Amino acid sequence: MAGILVPTLVLPLLLIAFIVLRLIMQVSFPIERGLVFPMALVPGLWGLWSMLWQWSRERTHLPLGFHGALLPLLMVPTGAFIAVLGGVLTLGATSVTWFNAVTLPYALIALFLAAGMTAYYLAWKYIVGFVNRLLGIA
Amino acid sequence: MTKDRDQGTGVGDQEEQMKQMLREALPPLGADAEPDHDLWPAMLHRMDEESARGASSIPWFDWALAGGLVAFAMIAPRTIPVILYYL
Repeated sequence: MAGILVPTLVLPLLLIAFIVLRLIMQVSFPIERGLVFPMALVPGLWGLWSMLWQWSRERTHLPLGFHGALLPLLMVPTGAFIAVLGGVLTLGATSVTWFNAVTLPYALIALFLAAGMTAYYLAWKYIVGFVNRLLGIA
Repeated sequence: MTKDRDQGTGVGDQEEQMKQMLREALPPLGADAEPDHDLWPAMLHRMDEESARGASSIPWFDWALAGGLVAFAMIAPRTIPVILYYL
């Protein structure tokens, strides 16, 4: 439960963004194709990653924040693969383009990954850790 | 008519059988279905304890990371939808 809390809290924000962009601002890009990953898979992956930490922490002694920071290494390629299949991500010669709007040069992907790992480290250490302590499971 | 009634009875039997199988598959709740006391006050107490730790217990390194993240979002705001995609 602690693991899926953060993505579950983000889901309404994604829905609001979808409604505003697609229905109110009439953005022509089919954003809903990109919703499959964050709405269906990310919460499950967070939950499984949390269960993996509970299962392995006595052997690895890995702090929760570091454990969470490793998740983007799995999720970034998985999400990118699903995004390519959904037509949300276009792979170019020198850059990738998200949602037909955000162009990210390949050289900056490492920086983006570092930012993602930082965000995950903080989210897991302070939010998932807080909920774990609250539930008495850490 | 008789055939219809027989078929209806068959469906009814199947439903009863299904209910019986479900009852057997699920463990009975018994008399202890509810906790013997309200758990919410204990949860509130824990939340107060966690809140009392405050921001001072957060190491400077984590503040720096959070600051770097905010700076990254301000420098490249177009990446925010991509970060949300992964949350």
